[in-house]
Amino acid sequence: MPKILVVDDEEHIRLLYSEELKEAGYEVITAENGFKLLERIEEEKPDLVVLDIKMVDYNGLDLLQDIRNRFYDLPVILSTAYDTFKEDMKSIAADFYVVKSFDLTELKHKIAMALETRLP
Amino acid sequence: MSLLEENPQKVAKCDIVVAIPTFNESETIARTTECAARGLLDHFGDLSGVIVNCDNHSADGTKEAFFSSRTEIPRIYISTPPGVHGKGNNLRNLYELVRRLEPKAVVVVEADISNMGPHWIKKLAEPVLKGMGYVCPLYVRHKYEATLTSSIVYPMTRCLYGRRVRQPNAGDFAFKGELVETFLNCPIWTDSVKNYGIDTWMTTVALSTRIPLSQAFIGAPKIHRVKDPYAHLALLFRQIVATIFDLMIHYADFWPQVKWSKPTALSGMEAQEVETPLPVEVNTARLHDRFVQGFESFGHVWQAVFDQTVYHKLVEIRGLGLQHFSLPSQTWARILFDAAVAYRSMGEGERIDLLDALLPLYLGKVLTLVKKTERMSLQQAEEYIENECTIFEENKPHLIKRWE
Repeated sequence: MPKILVVDDEEHIRLLYSEELKEAGYEVITAENGFKLLERIEEEKPDLVVLDIKMVDYNGLDLLQDIRNRFYDLPVILSTAYDTFKEDMKSIAADFYVVKSFDLTELKHKIAMALETRLP
Repeated sequence: MSLLEENPQKVAKCDIVVAIPTFNESETIARTTECAARGLLDHFGDLSGVIVNCDNHSADGTKEAFFSSRTEIPRIYISTPPGVHGKGNNLRNLYELVRRLEPKAVVVVEADISNMGPHWIKKLAEPVLKGMGYVCPLYVRHKYEATLTSSIVYPMTRCLYGRRVRQPNAGDFAFKGELVETFLNCPIWTDSVKNYGIDTWMTTVALSTRIPLSQAFIGAPKIHRVKDPYAHLALLFRQIVATIFDLMIHYADFWPQVKWSKPTALSGMEAQEVETPLPVEVNTARLHDRFVQGFESFGHVWQAVFDQTVYHKLVEIRGLGLQHFSLPSQTWARILFDAAVAYRSMGEGERIDLLDALLPLYLGKVLTLVKKTERMSLQQAEEYIENECTIFEENKPHLIKRWE
């Protein structure tokens, strides 16, 4: 069962994503911010990270850079309330992005695509 | 190919090489050399650096200008024999030299970049010194700039090799020294690779090794000598597309296994003012004329090579006229895929005819890009290109089926 790490400082989003993604057949772990995120990834070895861009004390795009530099191939999906983040070049280091919604169809589709991406 | 070399400081080993390929660049080589030297001194002062001019036996005094540049960084001049031209040949000489010098990192910059700063050397070399295998620059580009990259090289390399490298043939790059063994051992060394195809070739060979790649955000456009985009277009187009197709044949065990694509690491994102690209004028009527004229010159090739639905679609597009012109992305992907399949089974002469027959279709694709992104910001135009790439990836099963 693929393990997904959801990083978001809004509790209701963490709960929503956890419930829906567990129902969809994934193991879900969560983090409420970017504190020691790289260590957490090292320990938990998730198959994919869903990362909020705007958290109170953390910039998700900076965390994305750190993740990409240390875990080169780990899929990361950016999750955001606004799509203005695309103006920041840092966002291109993400596999995909989704705009937050209560309907997780798009997120589930992107997760499936990211997990089935294959390089020899 | 023999290597002509002048190494007055008798450099035997070094940590970083900055290479500048040239042919008749006496007016620009000194500035670029001094800028590269400043970059080495400012950012890598604790490492031993060497600047190498990889020349095509220029007769305009390039070598003299290179050695007269004001810097204490050691310099080595290497050249192809008289009459042997092409950037690929220059770089092959560089690979041989790098094999001997054993540097950790090699940076290649073109001689005629008028706005290059010393920090560009840091942006390109640093990711390699930190563990990346190959680094491509990410220049700020106008939405109509480098349309061959946006319409063919990027979507094809991404779809085939599974990595999103936005400017895979930008002309400047960095790589770890050991990678020259892979370059020297790659058997695909065609006339196209020796010339305009070399940048695409290097990035593709690097991609096939699965070493970590990074894109270095330069934050500025690449401003170099003003060139007439149409003057060498036919040759440039033929050589770059031939290189892509030749490498598809060589890596036919690799790319069918790739599904979707992954991003690369990104570097050079420290706070800086991002410059604005220079405006690019496009003559849409001329592009449309070239597309329509293609039916007369190459209609028979299109009918023979493409699926009949594709050919009928082209006829339909011709009927739209300039105002409503649109070559859909899916049709474009199928055109390139079908052409690649046909290219594989053709002889040399037929291949050239096929490549030339693709040119009017490419110009039709450029026209579509210009019309679709006319009112878009740079960022929106980039999203449009990203969507195009996704369509290529979605249609890849068609390519694999036809290839088998």
